[in-house]
Amino acid sequence: MSGTLRKQPSDPQARDGWGVLGELPGDLMMWVLIISELLVFGAALIAFLAVRASDPQGFAADQLLLDRTEGAVNTIVLVTSGLCAALAVVARENGRRQTARGWLFAAGVFGVVFLIVKAGEYWSKAAAGIGIETSPFFTFYYLITGFHAAHVVAGIVILALVAWADSIRNMETGVAFWHMVDLVWVLLFPIIYLLR
Amino acid sequence: MTARAMIEAWLMLVGLSASTTALTFIEMSGRSRMIIAAGVLVLAGLKARIILNRYLQLRNSRFWTRAFDLAIGGFLLLSFGLYASATGP
Repeated sequence: MSGTLRKQPSDPQARDGWGVLGELPGDLMMWVLIISELLVFGAALIAFLAVRASDPQGFAADQLLLDRTEGAVNTIVLVTSGLCAALAVVARENGRRQTARGWLFAAGVFGVVFLIVKAGEYWSKAAAGIGIETSPFFTFYYLITGFHAAHVVAGIVILALVAWADSIRNMETGVAFWHMVDLVWVLLFPIIYLLR
Repeated sequence: MTARAMIEAWLMLVGLSASTTALTFIEMSGRSRMIIAAGVLVLAGLKARIILNRYLQLRNSRFWTRAFDLAIGGFLLLSFGLYASATGP
């Protein structure tokens, strides 16, 4: 695959007359996706806190059933995965394609570790008889963290794709999606797991 | 961006995550609980800022850095307001 950048509107170099939109690094459509995903998760978290206001004791009791340590471990796993993805782009920009693929593979492995920890968390809840309809807290918990986990799965697929079609532009775009998944988690984790 | 800058960003993220976890293991009530909640959200905002500015490379654009600071700051303020309104002493 070629690393040559083609002149397209989503290419910052081809966006000279686009005002502040031209200042966004990488693919413009990826930024549209990042902002829309942030809005969706932001709205869901605000809804979670608004519903919590109607039953703070119930939410606090349910939140005690979550494992903060597993959540903290997953935070470290995901930010480390983000580092691997970022290092892949640096390696690719320096022409080290195999090293870049290695870093993408490492990022994907950390993504899988995140999903395994998350699956363990869901398994322990299910074993305790806790499901999506147990309480409003757990409805939000499963919907928001499940939706995020679906993005992690999509991100792993995208990392695999850009390791195969490894132009600089593809890699930057795919890795930006992965950083968005990371960004959502650092905002989601404290609100759902930690605020008591 | 250099590998060194990426590793520095990662070290900051790990440090902030460890600080968040340490904060939440402090058992508090009343006003102290509010301060810890505010601290947790501030740390989340700092982590989001590092990811946006370093990994997503927004720090080269003053406009977008400010726009995301405002949006995420507003979101965290609203989150804290909703949390505080429903949390008794």
